[in-house]
Amino acid sequence: MATATDQLVGFGLVAFSLILFVYYTLWIIVLPFIDNNHGIHQYFLPREYAVIIPVVAGLLLVLFIGVFIVIVMWKSRKAAKKSD
Amino acid sequence: MTKLGQWLCGLALLGSAWAALALAPPGLELPAPLRQALLPLPVYLLVAFGCYSLATVGYRLATFNDCEEAAAELQEHIRAARADLRRRGLRL
Repeated sequence: MATATDQLVGFGLVAFSLILFVYYTLWIIVLPFIDNNHGIHQYFLPREYAVIIPVVAGLLLVLFIGVFIVIVMWKSRKAAKKSD
Repeated sequence: MTKLGQWLCGLALLGSAWAALALAPPGLELPAPLRQALLPLPVYLLVAFGCYSLATVGYRLATFNDCEEAAAELQEHIRAARADLRRRGLRL
């Protein structure tokens, strides 16, 4: 058995991605087929955000990865220089 | 054909099918709701794949079993190796 924290985090990730998937599927695929006067539309942002938010999130992710790599390379170069 | 070649061919096929439907001339367009669902499809598939990856990582994290005996055995090996090296003069 994995530790309790592991199980909590693991199943938390599963639940989070399930919720995200269901919400996004409803937003992109189901909503166009529902009349504009139906109440469900109030729970969803305008459609442009369905593309803007993931693209921005993806760019932020790439940015963080790049910054992380730069910091690690910088530190390793400084450590190499110090030991010379 | 290499695996990369196969994946690229598949992607090119799906991509051109999507582009053909999305960039159709005004006379041949799909009905409005279908078209509205089709246009963000690449982003949707990317997000769906991301969700699937996250769920897989989380699930495997939660169901990975500790191996008590293997851990004890490993500690025993480490202890024996340390003693052996100390005996041969290596200072740890």
